[in-house]
Order: sequence, then C-alpha cells, then structure tokens
Amino acid sequence: MNYTAILETLKKYDFSFFGAVIAIFFIGVINLYSATQASDQLSHSNLFKIQLFYFFISLAIALTVSFVQTKNYFRYGYFIYGVNVFLLILVLTLGKIGMGAQRWLVLGPISFQPSEFMKISIVLALGRWFTKSDPHLVLGFRELIIPAIITFIPMVLIVLQPDLGTGVLIGLIFFMIAFYRRLRWKIIVMLGIISLIGGSVMYQYGLKEYQRKRIITFINPDSDAKGSGYNAIQSKIAIGSGEFLGKGYKKSTQASLQYLPENHTDFIFSIFNEEHGFFGSLVLISLYIVLFYRFIWLAQSVTKIYDSILAIGLMSIFFWHTFINMGMVMGLMPIVGVPLPLLSYGGTSLLTFMICCGVATSISNSRNFF
Amino acid sequence: MFGEEDIVKSHKSRADVITNIILVSFAIILARLWYLQIYMGEAYRRYSLENSLRKETVMAPRGMIFSRNNELMVHNVPRFDVIVVPQYLKTPKETIEMLAQRIEIPAAEIFQKLNRAKREQASYIPVVIKKNLSRKEVALIETENSYMPGVSVSTFITREYTDEYIGSHMLGYISKLDKQGKKKVKEYDEFQYIGVAGIEKVFDKHLKGDNGFEFVEVDALGRKRRYLKSDLLLDDIQNRPAVPGLNIRLTIDRDLQLAAYEALEGKVGSVVALDVTNGEILAIISRPSYNPSIFSRQLTSDYWSILSKDENEPLYDRAIQDHYPPGSTFKTITALAALEEGIVDENTEVRCNGFFQLGRKIFHCWKKHGHGAVNIYKAIRESCDVYFYKIGTKIDIDVLAKYGKMLGFGNKTGISLPRETRGLIPTKDWKLKKNAVPWQLGETLLTAIGQSYVLATPLQLTVAYAAIANNGRLVKPVLIKEIFSNAGDIIQKGNIEISKEKIFSDKTIKIVKDGLFQVANNPTGTAWWYRGKGINMSGKTGTSQVVRFSSDKIFNKCEDNEYKLRHHAVFAAYAPSDNPKIAVGVVVEHGCHGSSSAAPVATAIISKYLDKYYPELREKYLKEDSKMLAAHWSRKKAQAAEEAKKHDEE
Repeated sequence: MNYTAILETLKKYDFSFFGAVIAIFFIGVINLYSATQASDQLSHSNLFKIQLFYFFISLAIALTVSFVQTKNYFRYGYFIYGVNVFLLILVLTLGKIGMGAQRWLVLGPISFQPSEFMKISIVLALGRWFTKSDPHLVLGFRELIIPAIITFIPMVLIVLQPDLGTGVLIGLIFFMIAFYRRLRWKIIVMLGIISLIGGSVMYQYGLKEYQRKRIITFINPDSDAKGSGYNAIQSKIAIGSGEFLGKGYKKSTQASLQYLPENHTDFIFSIFNEEHGFFGSLVLISLYIVLFYRFIWLAQSVTKIYDSILAIGLMSIFFWHTFINMGMVMGLMPIVGVPLPLLSYGGTSLLTFMICCGVATSISNSRNFF
Repeated sequence: MFGEEDIVKSHKSRADVITNIILVSFAIILARLWYLQIYMGEAYRRYSLENSLRKETVMAPRGMIFSRNNELMVHNVPRFDVIVVPQYLKTPKETIEMLAQRIEIPAAEIFQKLNRAKREQASYIPVVIKKNLSRKEVALIETENSYMPGVSVSTFITREYTDEYIGSHMLGYISKLDKQGKKKVKEYDEFQYIGVAGIEKVFDKHLKGDNGFEFVEVDALGRKRRYLKSDLLLDDIQNRPAVPGLNIRLTIDRDLQLAAYEALEGKVGSVVALDVTNGEILAIISRPSYNPSIFSRQLTSDYWSILSKDENEPLYDRAIQDHYPPGSTFKTITALAALEEGIVDENTEVRCNGFFQLGRKIFHCWKKHGHGAVNIYKAIRESCDVYFYKIGTKIDIDVLAKYGKMLGFGNKTGISLPRETRGLIPTKDWKLKKNAVPWQLGETLLTAIGQSYVLATPLQLTVAYAAIANNGRLVKPVLIKEIFSNAGDIIQKGNIEISKEKIFSDKTIKIVKDGLFQVANNPTGTAWWYRGKGINMSGKTGTSQVVRFSSDKIFNKCEDNEYKLRHHAVFAAYAPSDNPKIAVGVVVEHGCHGSSSAAPVATAIISKYLDKYYPELREKYLKEDSKMLAAHWSRKKAQAAEEAKKHDEE
C-alpha cells in the first residue's frame, strides 16, 4: 500500500467507536488511579498501570479485529461459540478458584475468564442463526427453540461457576437480539413470565447462600449493614455523599478508607460519583449514550442483516453491563458482580469491550471498503 | 429475492424501541442519581462522615486521692491489652500465628479464646487476648499493625491503690458500668468506671470527671487513620476534650493507717482513730481486707467471688458497717449519766461480792470473788459490774438512752462513707414496738454494762470517747480535708463541726476522765499492763459477749471456747490525758480481752501519732512513764519487804 492508499483507508476508517471508548476508558483509568491509590494495600496502588497495560494490548487486538472482514464473523460464528462452550466446561472441571467461584482458566502466564468472551460468542452464534431463518418472519415460539438452546447451554455453565451476573447478562443479550429480530410481543410477555417463574425456582434451588443473601440485601439493605448489605449501603453512601459536584478528585473518603470493598472493580462507579458528583455522572453517561446510539445507528445503516444483528448484539453487551452495574451500585438491583464497561478494573472484561468495539468498527468500515 | 437492505430497514421500528429503552434506562439511572445525590445528598454526606469518623470516647482521668500529708494514695496507671475483632480478621490463620509469636501465647490458645467468644458474642465485639502487655510487645504489634488486620492494642487506665490492702474499705474501689448499671445512672457513659464503695463511691461525682469525645477517622477495618482537626469537620460535629476528675485530699494519715493495719495483723476487727479537736479521721482500718487495685485490673467477677466466699467477709467495713455490744466501754456512758442525774457521786460506795441479786436473778461480776468496796473511780478503773448494776437499778433506761444518744450512739455519725450502720440504743418504746413485751429492769442492768441490746460501731465508740476527751464537746467525724482541681483550685473544704455546748458538767467530765486515766495508769487498772509506754493514755477496756454462757461456764477461760463463741475485745481511748489530741476505738472480733487483745492496737497508733506530731511530748511522757513504773516497783518492793518483815515477826 502506498501513502495515498493509507490516507484513503484512514479517511474511510470509522474512528467514532474507538474515539468514544478511549474517552470513556481514560476517564476510567484516571478514576481507577484515585480509587486504588488511596488504598494502603501495596498491591492495589499499581493496578492503574496494569490496567493501562491491558488497555494497550486490548487496543492492539481490537484494531486488528477491526480489519477482519465481516463475512468471517458469520463463517466462524458457530465455531467460536463451540470453542467457548468447551472452555466453559474446562473452567468447571479445572478452573482456578477465585472469590469463591470457578471463573478463571490459566494457560501458562495468561489467566482469563471464558465467560467474558462468551458474551461476544453468543452474539456471533445468535446472529448467524437469526440470519438463516426466514428474514421476513416475525419470530414465534418455534423459531426460538434453537436460539434458546444456544443461549441456555453457556448460561447454565456460567451460572454453575457460579456467576449469576454473567449468566443473566447472556440471557439479556439473547433477549435484546430476539427483540430486535422482531420477536412477537406475545412471546415477549410469555418470556417475561417464564423468567419470573424460572427466577424464583432458581432462587430456591439454584442459588448459593451468598447469592440469596445479596437478593435479600437488595430488598432491605439495612437488615444486615455489616454483613451482606454492607456493600449496598456503603455504595449508596459513597454516591449520595458526592452531591452535585462531588468531593473532588482523590477526595473520596469511602474509597480511601476502604469502606467499599472491591472499589476498583464492581463499585468503581460509586467512587466516581463520590468524587465527581451528579455532574460528573451526567458527562459520563452522555458518553455512554453517544456510544450506544452509534451502535444503533450502525445497525440501521448496514446492508446485511447479520451485521445489523451483530451491531445490536454488541451494543446490548455494553448496555446491559452499564445499566446493571449502575443500577446495582445505586441500589436499584441486587449486587450481582457485573463490571462497568471500561471503568472497572479487569483485563478480560476490558479486552471483551475493546473487541466489541473492534468488531463494530469493522462492520462500519465494511460499508466503505472490502 | 428481497434486497437485504430492505430487511435491515424493516427492523427500524424495533431499533427505535431499543433506542427508547436505552434512553428510559438512563433516565431511571439519572433520576436515581438525582435522588441520591441531590435530594438525599446532604444526608449521605453526613453518613459518609460518620462512617469514616468514629466517635471515640476520651476517658476523663479520674481524680486522685491524697493523704493529709499529700502522699498519693489512689491514682491512675495506663495498661495495654491486645484485642482481636473477629469480624475484621481477614486471614485468621496467618494473623493469629503472627500475633502468637509476638505475645508468646500459643496460637491454639488464642483460637480457643476466639471460638469461645464466637459462641457468646457478636463478631464485631473485641476479644481481649492478652492483658498488661509489656512496652516491647506493644511496639511489636503496633509496628506491624497493617499486616495483622483485626488485631489492635487498646489502652486502658487502671486505678492503682498505693497501699493496696491498707485502708481499702475507706477508699473503696471502682467497677465498670454494665449496661444495666448505665440505665440506673444516666449521666455516665457506658463502660465508664463508677465508684462502688468507700470514698470512690461517695465522691464519685467529683472524682469521675467528664468524658470527652473525639472523632477519629477509621477505615472499614476499624483501623485509625489520622486525627481530624475540629475545624475541618462539619459545624455540628465537634470534638470535646475530657474534663479530668477532681482530686481529694483526705484527713487520713498514711503512717497511722499502716500502724493500725499492722497492729491488727492476724486479727479480725477494726480500728478508728480521730483527731478529737476537729473530728478528722486519722486512720480507719478494717481487717481482713482486699486489694482494690485488682478490681480494675482483673476480671472483677473472679476476685469478687473469692472475696464473697471468704467467711471472714473481707469486703465488709467493720469500722462502720458492723456493730457490736460495746461491753464495758459503755460503762463510761452509764457513769456519765448517773453522775449527771445525781444517782451517784464521787463518794458513793457499793460493795461488790462478785454478784448482784435482783429478785431471783443473779447478775455476775466478771471478778468471781468481787471487788470489795467500790467507788466510781474504782468502778471505772477495775470495771466493776456490780457498781453499774446498782446504777442500773436506779436509772431509767430512757434516761440512759438519752445520754447514749447525746454521745452519738444509735445514730449515724454522718461520716462520708457508704452503708454506715446506726447501731442501737434500746428504749422502752423501742422494745415494746419490736417485741411487744415491756422493758424489764434486768435489761437496764445489762444495758448499764454495755450488754443486752446496745450496739455500737467502732466509729461511734471512738466519736463518743472523743467527745469525752473534748470535755463533752461532740465532733462530727470527717474524712475530707479538701477537694481540688488539677489546677490547684480548692473546690470544697471538709466541714468541721464541733458542738459549742458541752453536754456534761465539768465536774462529771473530770470524775469520768480521772477514772479513765486510772484504767491505764493505776496498777490495778484493767489496761495497766497494756497502757503502752509514754503515751499518757486514758481509756476503757471492754469485752462483749457473743453468746450468753450458762453460769457454770461463765468463768471459763475465754480462750478455751470455740473461736466463734469467744468474746469480742473492745477498747476505746484517747491521749494525751491532760490535753487530748487523738481518740481511738478498737474492736477485735473474738479477741477475748479488751486489754490484751484490743488495747495494744490503740497504743500502737497513739505512739505512732505522738512520735510523728508531738515528739517532745512523747519524750516527756516516756520519762514520766519510767518514773511512774519505778515508783510502782519500789512500792511493790516496800510492800514485799513489809510483808516479809511481818512474816518474820510472826
């Protein structure tokens, strides 16, 4: 490629996804610095550097992904899904124990959570299935059987780890894709009822004690302030005490005094709110909305239905994470351990979101080249 | 075939719905944020401050207690304990092993303590692992505090009583307020110490001070971070410094306390010594005793149960909380009454044959074969029962009671110590009310020699003899010289009360005082052999019956009886006789004889007192004493020589 070709490519290249994601990430890493610096655990003070390191690796991978032709996603969709399900089974049999659950798989120096990648795999697999079925059809019960099975297998494997949050997320991603793919309203109502019943059965028989406690806590956080309700209350205090403009950067008392457990992962949004207040959140949420809107815009501006479904699916990964995480830290939902995209510390989840971004960029680019 | 693009476009309505879902979702999030941060923001800001700011009580140092000569008797000493808060133990095994190494207690033992606590209390309540840490241990734990989450050193202030067992009844002790106790005394903080006996109790309000509080920034593991300056806090969150308790200077003399304590060594009993001129208590001792320091050092309940099981009742202040029949020491009061009422005078003589008959009843004199002709001096000096029986037949019990009460018997002296008992002076009304039986004349006879129903505390006895020493001016016993702040400001002074009126005529007082002088200074006096050298003491011995013996046993040697049945030994005295300064009352339980058992306690205190405050008098009296003794021996020699001469002549 000569110079003009590169320039041409850059002109056509859609930077909007990476732009928004990088903006959010840098807000995130600055916030992470504050959340971990105050900690007196030495191992925490270097976390922002590690996060930056993960970021550059993820960016490199995501940029590479952005040059993948979209037909390859379609071609390898089931394969990637299959490999990922296999990895999930491996996790259950020989995964590393961490935080009371088996989530990690260790391959030499790298350890990662296959359940994170499953979010993308499920989008690829479902997209492929819904493309194959009659495009004009309004989805009824019969058309949902296979995609339900596709969703159900990894979901069960993930819930068994146990990782309720990610399991629920997989289900929600499926729901969002099915909805976009014109799921009948009747089915939507029925699915709602089924998930309610299924949920309560799960609550009785499928949940571990700590998960059940979290749900009770969500309903009444003050019931056991130093026990399972602790996180919920401390998080609300952190957020509320931020008031309109926040306490200021690195002025969080809740984080620096370790009131918030996991303040660098699931509860990062609490610290952000404590330090930057309502105004800071308004800016951050606006950035997220811009990003999501860009995905939806993409879904309607592509020519292939598969690409359209992928865009919605990828958006739903971002959206559900954002919504559930924000909802749980501010006491709107039970605490289920879902990270906030690009803000929470964690290599695998960062890579997942960056790959989403890469895939979205490649779809966008495919409208102009290839 | 339809164009794929059309298929995509056909999903537009669903894309719009999804856009709306997203917008609504974030509207909910923002509404919630608005609620938390704007509507509830101020409340949460407060929460977050209170969260990280722990209100810590700053214990007010309890006031100190000094002797009359400003020697420290009670003060506060810091103590360090290592505690573990089970809830904050993140890695119990590692942390406990680390701790075990530093305080040299096996880890297994620590786990045992923690497990026991786990069963009994919530996990946020600290468990004390080791008490009284050395400075080195404190340093070892504090420096590695961050590696042992859940472990910390807590500082306690313990109350130290310099003389430990000596005078503990008067000083009292303190105890931690439990939750129930807190309900009763509202102005106290929970877990604050409160005085439960002695001076500590009566002057608790002065001694305790006011606890302050301080806001300390802590993390969720309860570890202190840094202290905040008051001005950084919200307006309504302010630190308050502790106000130290006031100090007390007692009238007590430590040397006399020690002398009294030692004089009672091996005995069960009590002694009170007071300054007759102003009522200041110089010494007040009850034995057996306890160590009040232990109450604030150890598990109070353990020590408590040991003490309360002891059959000699060491917790009991015998000087004020117990009363005894005063025995012959009460004869002085009977003599005063009879003289004042004109029933007898210095010339009245009574013949003592060793017993007195009233109707068909025989009243024995302690001297089996009698005293012969007895006047008031001899009656007091040799403690002749028959003389006082005779008075008993002539004096109305209510009149006798009136004089007893005038001298303070039958009423609380008002000493600033808790649970003082009143003793008892019987009257006709009293008996009628109590037993619904009228007073018997025989009972007046017994009352006249200090038996029957009369009961007096050692303190009352001392106060009465002080009044006699004072020529009939009653003094109120006081313990407090002054109460003063740390800055040295005197907040309160001890109230000295001396009655202006003399309660007896000078003539009466003179006769009784002469009698009392002879008790110790005439070779026939009951306390002659126990008068102590060179103290110029006047006094009266007494023996109070614990049980009434049948007439065949009444002259048995007291020491042959079972310990619990032996008489109590009583002695009351003042010195110097010509210008009294100090009065002393002694009761030795089951001591048998007032002279041999109780008098030496009094003389020990008086000797010490004169040595310390009037050495020149002491020297003078010592000389007089040896002169008196020499005269006595030469008289004895002359007598013996005369008898030998008579014998030879025969």
